[in-house]
Parts: sequence; structure tokens; C-alpha cells
Amino acid sequence: MTDSPVLEAAGVARMAGGRPIVSGIDLGVRAGETLGLIGPNGSGKSTLLNMLAGLVKPSRGEIRLAGRPMARLSRREVARSIAFVAQQAETGERICVRDAVELGRTPWLDALRPWGREDDDAVSAALEAVDMQHMARRDWATLSGGERQRVHIARAHAQKPQLLLLDEPTNHLDIHHQIGILDLIGTLAVTTVIALHDLNHAQRCDRLLVMKHGRCAALGPPHEVLTAPLIREIFAVEAELIPHPSGGRPVFAFQRLA
Amino acid sequence: MRQGAAVHGLGWLFWLAPAVLAAALLFGTAVGETRIPLATVFDVLATKTGFLDRAIDPIELSVIWHYRMSRAVVAACGGASLALSGLILQALLRNPLAEPYLLGISAGASTGAVAVTVAGFGAGLLSMSAGAFAGAITAFVLVALLARAAGGGTGMRGAAVIILAGIAGSQMFNALTALIIAQSASAEQARGIMFWLLGNLSGVRWPDIWLVLPMALVGLGITLWHVRALDAFAFGAESAAALGIDVRRTQVVLIGTATLVTAIMVSVAGAIGFVGLVVPHAMRILVGARHSRLVPATALAGAVFLVVSDVVSRIALPGQVLPIGVVTALVGAPAFAFIMVRGRQR
Amino acid sequence: MLRFTTAFIATFALAPMAFAATSYPLKLTSCGHEVTIEKAPDSVVSVGQSTTEILYMLGLADKVKGTALWINPVLPEFAEVDKTVERLADNAPSFESVVAKKPELVVTAYEWMIGPQGAVGTREMFDDAGIASWIMPTECVGKDNTQSMDGARTKLFDTALLYQGITELAEIFDVSERGEKLVADLRSREESAVRKAKDLNLPEDVSGVFWYSSADIEIDPYVAGLNGVPGWMLSKLGVKNVVTSEEEWPTVGWETIATARPTFIVAAEMNRRRFPADDIAVKREFLTTDPVAKEMEAVRQDRILTIEANAMDPSVRAIFALGKLSNALSGFCLSK
Repeated sequence: MTDSPVLEAAGVARMAGGRPIVSGIDLGVRAGETLGLIGPNGSGKSTLLNMLAGLVKPSRGEIRLAGRPMARLSRREVARSIAFVAQQAETGERICVRDAVELGRTPWLDALRPWGREDDDAVSAALEAVDMQHMARRDWATLSGGERQRVHIARAHAQKPQLLLLDEPTNHLDIHHQIGILDLIGTLAVTTVIALHDLNHAQRCDRLLVMKHGRCAALGPPHEVLTAPLIREIFAVEAELIPHPSGGRPVFAFQRLA
Repeated sequence: MRQGAAVHGLGWLFWLAPAVLAAALLFGTAVGETRIPLATVFDVLATKTGFLDRAIDPIELSVIWHYRMSRAVVAACGGASLALSGLILQALLRNPLAEPYLLGISAGASTGAVAVTVAGFGAGLLSMSAGAFAGAITAFVLVALLARAAGGGTGMRGAAVIILAGIAGSQMFNALTALIIAQSASAEQARGIMFWLLGNLSGVRWPDIWLVLPMALVGLGITLWHVRALDAFAFGAESAAALGIDVRRTQVVLIGTATLVTAIMVSVAGAIGFVGLVVPHAMRILVGARHSRLVPATALAGAVFLVVSDVVSRIALPGQVLPIGVVTALVGAPAFAFIMVRGRQR
Repeated sequence: MLRFTTAFIATFALAPMAFAATSYPLKLTSCGHEVTIEKAPDSVVSVGQSTTEILYMLGLADKVKGTALWINPVLPEFAEVDKTVERLADNAPSFESVVAKKPELVVTAYEWMIGPQGAVGTREMFDDAGIASWIMPTECVGKDNTQSMDGARTKLFDTALLYQGITELAEIFDVSERGEKLVADLRSREESAVRKAKDLNLPEDVSGVFWYSSADIEIDPYVAGLNGVPGWMLSKLGVKNVVTSEEEWPTVGWETIATARPTFIVAAEMNRRRFPADDIAVKREFLTTDPVAKEMEAVRQDRILTIEANAMDPSVRAIFALGKLSNALSGFCLSK
């Protein structure tokens, strides 16, 4: 019962200033899975993610959304299927939480279909999902980093997408909020592609794509991919998997290369 | 964001707006360089619209109808257009200092104007207005090409590149203007140019309506059509793209509209500053950041501001007409300082 | 007896010559600047049509090595002579072009040409080049040039300043006799024009406005203020100026001018075409087609008078124009 992938990259490459940032990626994201993109800095994770979201055009190859080439789709069609959460998105506008979440309904509105009941419901549901209903009228400027990220996720939720793409969403957050955000993402019943830098967090994913120098170094479930030799080769550290003291997910312990 | 008929909490504004505009237009018609009784003003309006037929002194009739009324309407259209241009540039370039002349338009207009009047381009067949318009468009095209060549894409860096290209273009055209003036102008000519470049609505007559009114209506219409797109730019161009907005097309249409509208206004009345910079910010404080409210509010406020400024420019010094750009600056600069300080306190 | 008579006659015959000769070195103050003339100059550059024409009238054309700043063709009687004189520029000449002519003296009627912010140069620059500079007294007596480019007259223009200028110039060149003759001639013209206007017995409320040009035909025009040459003309003829500013050429809105209901309008005519409104035809068309201007009595009754632009500056032409204006007034049938 292998469905065709909901999102595919076929022979995708991206050049910049003559140098390949990403090259030769073949990837099929399966419905319902959580796929993690990991790799050292400069491995091309962000670029690949942006291409998958349709925000950057591949120099070679093709991205397909539900079998259709993304290049042939309008931005609106893509946005109705894919929601993108950047690392950090700021605004100088004086908007409140609800305003920011309402932006998520943009791909569904147009002159013939103005704001309606359905949109109000989607926004309320999104706020509930991230547990921010009580903060709906708070000013954006008064929110903490973690709260802002939650609002972005709520916005993505309101988009009612099939796919959620997140680019290192916990990068600048403290540990409490990191875990909170990742837990939240875990509860959303939507296909997810998430770029991560923390290998412990990466274990939550169904599959991992490991990148180095813009190429795919490994693709598969975490327990298969995150082996000590691979980690040594890709990340240049010694890694050892330690069982969790109180029975949770095993944890990596890292050490400098000898 | 919410859009549409349910303009919650501000429904009353919808009915108040035409009244405010009408009051401003009346003010612009009734008050001017010379004192004409209000009763005469009403007589003129009644006669011209066919309700009454009074015998009115022909000079006063012409002054009220041909000079003041037309000027008030053009000021309203121009003020609305300039304010909307500023709003568009601030939203798309994500920069609170963006204003209509950022992309080289007023600098190019000044070069075009002096090229025609001082250097004699066009051999007396081109008017100063035509020269200004041509200069404005030329400057904008060069700035756009420069921005394109410098790259930067559609994101924040792209916005920064556009702004820098605009600054570079403006500086270059300002230098050209100075060169032409230094080389050939007489004292009186240079003075005439300066007066015009600071903005002057004195030369407005009814035929100018055919240019300025459609421009204002079309500009307002296009901007209203794009309110959702403008909202979507809140978190940047990339975020807008992720929300389904065709960023390139939106930028081209909106910035193109803003440019055309500003170039027309500059060629009709010179470079009137501060309207495009201050009015959008003031309206953001009053009605909030949702563009479905902000756009009409900005247009109305811009219209009223410019009508009132024009009147002030005529009555502030007796027997003399100030350039309107001086009045808008004298009001606009302190207002902007106030906005900046208030913004920081939040 | 015959010897006495001869001596008597000789004294009177020679007396004018005794008044006339200038004693050098001649020291004078021209617009606040000390000027020393060592001898009657053999070469002079004149920046400005008015000083050039005075020099021609004093018979000094052969000493003029260069001219500049022309707004209209030269007075017809000097057309031939002017052809032999080099024109350095129609507008402001450069400092080098003036100095290259190696003049001993440079004269002008405008402080914005040669003065603290002179477009050609400053007095000091000419001093350093060993060239004496002289400005018509009409430019600096009773006039404040610091606040605006054209300047503002604090006192009503007086032809005495013009005559003083002519006399000074004549003295510099040691042709005082010719200077006196010219002044006397101009004085009598002035007086006859004034007398003619008085005889007309004009009503008290006759008013006028002088329109020089406009930066753009439809915006506020440059009109003559109270104290300049046009203001002087109007006051000499007993006519009110609708403009109340002391600026030489303020911009006043057409609304203000029209509601002041001037009895007649004087429009400037010139060769220069920097502004479209420089053209007298353009001015007339505006007056007859603009919705407000065309309603003025002055336009309806075609009381629009054309006077050449340099007559509106302190120059000999102003005197001729006074006569023309006086004649025109009689033609307007305004008498009480």
C-alpha cells in the first residue's frame, strides 16, 4: 500500500554563483510521515526545504506536488497544500496574535470568496491547537520567542495544509520551548518535513535525510541512519547512544573526535 | 486577514468619510488668498449645479469655481494618491521610512523640469510638466534596472537593494539638476524652479481633473484590490510567497502603480513631500495595521491633509503664496518625530 | 574794451570745459566698495544691457570691448555700432571671458552679477585681477539684496540715482559734458511724461500691474513690487500699484491680482525664451483665455500694454517707457 509520494524531489539541484548548493536529490515524502532533514551547517538543508516549499526554483530537476510539477502550479495552489514555517519571521507591524494567525487563511480567500464562517473556525481551531486562545488579542511585540513560533505554527495550521514544512523552528528558543514546539508539531496530524540541527530531536522523526555538501548522504529511519560511523563521517564527532535513565527515548552523548 | 463588508467597530467611519471629504473640499473652496464671503461660495456652487441662477461677480465666480474648486479637488486626489504610494512602498519594502520619492521620482522630475526650462530641452515645445514627468519615469526606470542588476531577489535583501538603488539614483539626478542650474540659470529662473519643485498647486485648472481624478480612482482601486496581499507582506516577502501571494507580480503592479501616480502628481504640482511618509503612519496609529481599513483611511487622510495644506500655504503670509511643500514639511516633520518617539515607547 | 570783451567771452566759452575735465586719480565709492580710476579707461566690459546702452549714448562705443546679459535687441540707433562690439554671452559671462578682454574697468547694473554672490565674480576677484569694478547706484541705494535674488527696495526708486550713475560713468571716462547733456535730455523727457499724465486728470482709483513673466504660464506670476522702476512709473503718473510687496519681483497669485481689479496691465516683452511666459504672445493668450484673468476689466477692455522688459529695470529705457505709458493712458479714455 505504498501511496505515491505527496511531495517529491526528482534529480533536484540548485546552483549559486557557480557553486552547487544542492545537487542530485531524489526524495519522496510519504503521506503522514514526519521526515527530518539533518546535516552540518552549509549542507543545503534550508535550500532544499525552500525548494520543496516552492519558494526557490531548482536549477535542475523538478519538484512535484501530488504528482504535478510545482512549476506548473500557481503560488496559491501550492499554498493551499503546503504551509511553511521559517526559522524566524518578524514584523514591525502592530498586529495581534489573532491577526497573524488570520494571515494563514490568505490562500483560501479571494474577491469571489471573502472572509466567512469557515475562516473564523479555522483560526479558532488553530489557536486552540497551539494553546494560545487566551492570548488572541496580545500584541505581537509583547510575545516571547517561543510564543511567536507557536503563533507561526498556528498560522500554518490555519492554512489547513496537507504538508507542513519547518526550517529549524527551534533554533533560537530555550530548551523549554524547544521541547514544547516539537511536542506540538508531533500532535499535528499532517505530513511534516522538518529541518533540524539537534540529533536528539531528530530521533522523533519517522525518516531522516542526512545531507552533506548538498548531497544526500543517507535516507531512512533514525535507528538505521544515525549510526556512530555515519555521525562521525558527517558531523565529525564521536557519538554514543545511551539508554534513557527513566525509559524514554535513548539519548546521544557526543565527544570530540579523538 | 479579515476583509469585506464587516468592517467591525468602524462602520460609522464608512458614513463619515464622504462627509469629511466634502467638508475639506468646501474649506478649500471657501478659504483662499482673498476674502470672499461664504454666501458667495454657496451661490456659486448652487448656480453651477443648476439649482439657482444668481448674478454673481464674474471674477469671484471664476476664482471660486475655476481656481479654488478645481484646486481643492486636485489636491484631494493628489493627497490621496501620494499617501497611498507611501503606504504601498512601506508595506512592500518593509521600511517605515519609505516614501513615494524613494525610487528617484522627485529627483528625476526636478532634472526633467530644469532640462526643459533652463537648458532649453524640447526647444520650447515641452512644458515644464511634461519634462518633469519624463524625468521622473526615466529616473525610476534607471533605478529599477540598477536594482535588478544588483540582484537580491524578493526578500529583505531585495528590499534593501531597491532602497539603495533609489538613493543612488536620486543622488545622481539631484547632481544633474544642480549642474544644469549652476551652468545656465539666471537668479530668477533658479528661483522659479525651486518654487515649483517644492510643490505648487497654483497652476491647477479644471482640465487637470481628467488626468488626476482617474489616476486617484485607479490607484485607490488597485490598492484596495490588493489589501490581502499587502497584509500578507507583514512578515516579509518570503512569508507572503508561502501564503500564496505572487510576490513578483504584486510588486510590479503595486510599485508600478505607486510610481506612475507619483510621477503624474509631481508633473502636475511639483514634489510635495511628507504626505506619503507621514500620513500612512498616522493612520496606522488610528485605525490599525489591517489594510482593508488602512487603505481607505490613508487615502482620505491624505486628501484632507493636502487640501488643508494648500489653503494654509495661501493664507499663512498675506499677499504671498508659500510653496506647499514647505507647509507639508513644517507639519510633517514634527508629526513624524512624534510618531517615531511614540513608537519607541511601546 | 575789446580785450575785456574777448576775455569775458573767452571765460564763458571756456567755462564748460573747465567743469568737465575729470581730475585723476578718481576715487569713488561704488556700492560700498572703494574704486580708484587712474586714468580714463580705454577698455571696458559691460555686463548688462542698461550700462551698455548708457556707454553707447555717451559715445564710448569704441572703448567697449565686450558686452553680456542681453534681454532685448539693442536700441535701434546703436544697432550698427553694437555689431562691432563682441558679445561675450547673452546671459551671464564667465569670469575668465571677461578678464580675457583685458579691460581696465568692468561695469554692471546688477549686484547678482558682480557682488558678494556675483554670478560673474566678486569685487575682490576683479580687484585681484587689477580690474576696477563699478555698479550702478540704482542697485545699492535703498535696496536690500541679501534676502532674495532680485532684492527688495526699501525706498521708492528715484531717477536721480540713474542720473547719478550716468554722471559718474561720464566722469570716469572724462566725458562729463556729454553726461550732462544726456541727463538734461532724459530729465526733460521725464518731466513731459509726468505733465502729460497730470493733464489727463485721471480718477483716483486708477490702478495697474506690471507682469514680467511666470515660471509656468498658469502659476503665480512675477509682478512688480511697490518700489522698483515699474512702481516708480506708476507713482509718477498718479496710478496705484495693486501689488503691495516691497520685493522687486514678488510672486503674487492671479486670484489676488484679479480681485484687486487693476485698470490696466503692463506686460513685459523680451527676446529671452527661458520660460514659456517670456513670450508676449503667450502672456496675451493667457490673459484672454484663463477663466479668471479674462474676467478682469483690463482684459475685457483690452487695456493691455506691452513694454520691453529692460524698461522695467533702472535704465534709460525706463524713461522712454514712462513716456509710452503716459501716452497709452491717454488712449485708454480714463479721464474723469
